[in-house]
Amino acid sequence: MNGQTATAKINSAFLGYFPTWCPGCGNFGIWSSLKTAFNKLQLEPDKMAVIFGIGCSGNMNDFLWANSFHALHGRAIPTAVGVKIANHKLPVIVIAGDGDTYGEGGNHLLHAARGNHDITVIVHDNRVYGLTTGQVAPTASKGAKSKSTPQGLIEVPVNPLALALTQGATFVAQGFSQDLVHLTDLIMSGINHRGFSLINVFQPCVTFNPANGYAFYRERVYKLAGDYDRSNLRLALDKSLELEDKIPIGIVYKTERPVYTDFLNQLKEKALVEEDITNRDLNKFIAEFI
Amino acid sequence: MIDFTVKIGGEAGFGIMTTGLFLGKIATRSGYHAFEYSEYPSLIRGGHNVIEVRISDEEVHSQGQGVDLLLCLNKETADLHGHEVREGGVIVFDNEKTDESKLMKPDRNIHYVHIPFSRILRENSLPMVMLNNIALGVLMHLIGADMEILNTLIAETFARKGEEIITKNREAATLGMNEAKKNFKIDILHKLEKKSVISPKLYITGNEVIGLGAIRAGCQFYCAYPMTPSSAILHYLASKAEKAGIVVKHAEDEISVINMALGASWAGARSMVATSGGGFALMVEAVSLSGMTETPIVIVMGQRPGPATGMPTWTEQGDLHFVIRSGHGEFPKIVLAPGDVGEAYKLTVEAFNLADRYQTPVLIMADKYLQEGHQSVEKFEIQSRFDRDRIDRGKLLSQEELLKITSYKRYLITDDGISSRALPGMKQSLHQANSYEHGEDGHTTEDAGERVKQVDKRNRKEATYLSNDFRLPEVFGAKEPPLTVVSWGSMKGPILQAMKESGGSFNYVHFSRLWPLDFGKLKEFLGRFGKFLLIENNSTGQLGQLLTMATGIEFPQKLLKYSGRPVYPHEIMVKIKELL
Repeated sequence: MNGQTATAKINSAFLGYFPTWCPGCGNFGIWSSLKTAFNKLQLEPDKMAVIFGIGCSGNMNDFLWANSFHALHGRAIPTAVGVKIANHKLPVIVIAGDGDTYGEGGNHLLHAARGNHDITVIVHDNRVYGLTTGQVAPTASKGAKSKSTPQGLIEVPVNPLALALTQGATFVAQGFSQDLVHLTDLIMSGINHRGFSLINVFQPCVTFNPANGYAFYRERVYKLAGDYDRSNLRLALDKSLELEDKIPIGIVYKTERPVYTDFLNQLKEKALVEEDITNRDLNKFIAEFI
Repeated sequence: MIDFTVKIGGEAGFGIMTTGLFLGKIATRSGYHAFEYSEYPSLIRGGHNVIEVRISDEEVHSQGQGVDLLLCLNKETADLHGHEVREGGVIVFDNEKTDESKLMKPDRNIHYVHIPFSRILRENSLPMVMLNNIALGVLMHLIGADMEILNTLIAETFARKGEEIITKNREAATLGMNEAKKNFKIDILHKLEKKSVISPKLYITGNEVIGLGAIRAGCQFYCAYPMTPSSAILHYLASKAEKAGIVVKHAEDEISVINMALGASWAGARSMVATSGGGFALMVEAVSLSGMTETPIVIVMGQRPGPATGMPTWTEQGDLHFVIRSGHGEFPKIVLAPGDVGEAYKLTVEAFNLADRYQTPVLIMADKYLQEGHQSVEKFEIQSRFDRDRIDRGKLLSQEELLKITSYKRYLITDDGISSRALPGMKQSLHQANSYEHGEDGHTTEDAGERVKQVDKRNRKEATYLSNDFRLPEVFGAKEPPLTVVSWGSMKGPILQAMKESGGSFNYVHFSRLWPLDFGKLKEFLGRFGKFLLIENNSTGQLGQLLTMATGIEFPQKLLKYSGRPVYPHEIMVKIKELL
């Protein structure tokens, strides 16, 4: 894919340096879809916040030019939650990998979903660690052989969708990086959704995990039918269990629930960062200590 | 002169701490100074808790040796602390709980007062929660305090629960007072008469005063995971969050805590976190992230004895080197260590300004001793600061200033090492905070030249701090005494108390700014003193080691205590006598 020339015209607002990913990397599809989605949503690069994790996915920080915080490995979600609380008027998007989100920072995923923090988490799921040159990711299949598991992986894979669904996420979706149009729609829906959104994106690592390459996913993924009831949690849980032979893509679950900042009276009128902090009156606070 | 100590002991969960708090407030409202010290195990119910309140005419900086009035609400109090009672002192006991014959020591001049707490509860069908009111009533009589002050305190405390509850609590206190009058007729302790002129005092813990300082400093986001001894900052700020305009978040773990705070800070909110050693260990990677992304943050590091889980509810100063060296890689950080509640207020406000000015982590080191004990401080001392407190956000750009910059660079190379900060959401703010090494525009770089420039830029902040904000340690006491005590943080209290009680046979060099240190200035400064005694609440003399590394000056004389208990003034006096 010729990323730069193909996308430069419509996506120039968000265009950073040309990617250093391997040719054929699944990340190109996500990168392109993100820029298209941002443009279609008319987001402005300086009026949003993109929080990157660490990995090949996180390296998008230099290729996608928007206000961004390239966080620590595994910690993009809490960083994003902090940004959102401080300025809930900003759209906040997390770009992270499967190791970031389901391994190193697994705990944060659960709690951000519980809190229904209004952030959109886009996870690059390729079942392998690319940047560290090929060890199993938490989504790798049982038995997967890699540099860290030469005898085959003993654990069963994490189930990202089931995890998010059972922890209270209000938008759970799955995409495939080769289907740019579909993925763009998913990203737009995720950003438009008020609440915690997880979009798990299959994004083949052609270098370190050819076994789960484009053909693997193309043969397995199917789009959820138009009459699929995305408001049905039990149905969504059933879909989330389709992990190997047939794998659904699309919006698996969507519901409405007040977001974390809705419960904070401090934020009713202004964003936290808009408040004047220069002269708080302490006299009303000291009386109780006398 | 009034200077006495009341110690109250009982089973955890039965209001021992509240009894101590009320007693301290009664003293300060009567015009006296008070200092509280508590010991309790890491249990919720059933353990043995004690609280000591020292009440004095004069400013009191620490707990003292010995007890004048021991109130035993369980057997352990009598067994474990009976010997601490001074000659002429009083032991209050309940003969249903304590074996009278074993308690009484005929060779000692101690007044034993039997108060049948259990029977009073039983006969009046009072629940266990009323025990502390009965105990307070007894104390009111024994120390000759004004019952009206207690009645007012009860009314304030239970205002929301209604008249009936207030009356019940007051009645229980009266039962205690009457029983004490019946059984104890002579005046032994000084009468705590209400003074005619009372300068209002705050009776406040280190945790609460750090909370107050944070509110005043404009803290907008406070994030924490509970951990002794810092949990009460979370409790205090959570209870004031809406009123103060702060968002308080109890996050899932300390890693999340600090990363959330850094996210909020990057977005422009003044942010603080607090924890203890174990929690801080989890935060350390993000301390380094703060240094690299140049994102301001204030971290309260409340020490307790380690390693590992250690002794959670006890005190120690064992983390100085850990904190100063925390975080992988090289980056500047600022470490402060207040010695008492007044200083804790001041340094908390300052910490936020320093964090914004230097765009780097600022740590406030405290400990269980300072954080959990109540101390009286003149209301004026805190209040008079309000006018002087100012919010300095350093090189944080306003929207107008940002629009004047043609091509904004977040990590612009500057002489003082500090670059202007724009916030996401501002027009033309486009930038990234980058955990990777980066060039001036924030983009990742591995270029040798750019790397060196950025490292040098960050390091220059330390030089800027040393020339603009470094202060030499404060010196307390006589000009040229034969001995100089050197210490830091919360040990200030016991040292000043010892100085007072020993009539000023030494002076004290108090370190409340621990990092960065101006080695040259310090060497010259310390060179002015003669013989040193190093006092620290740890086993290795960490400040001493640091100063020796920095200046070559050695500290052969040491008083180090690491039993989980603070240093006592009398231990200092004994050591000083040995040396002089």
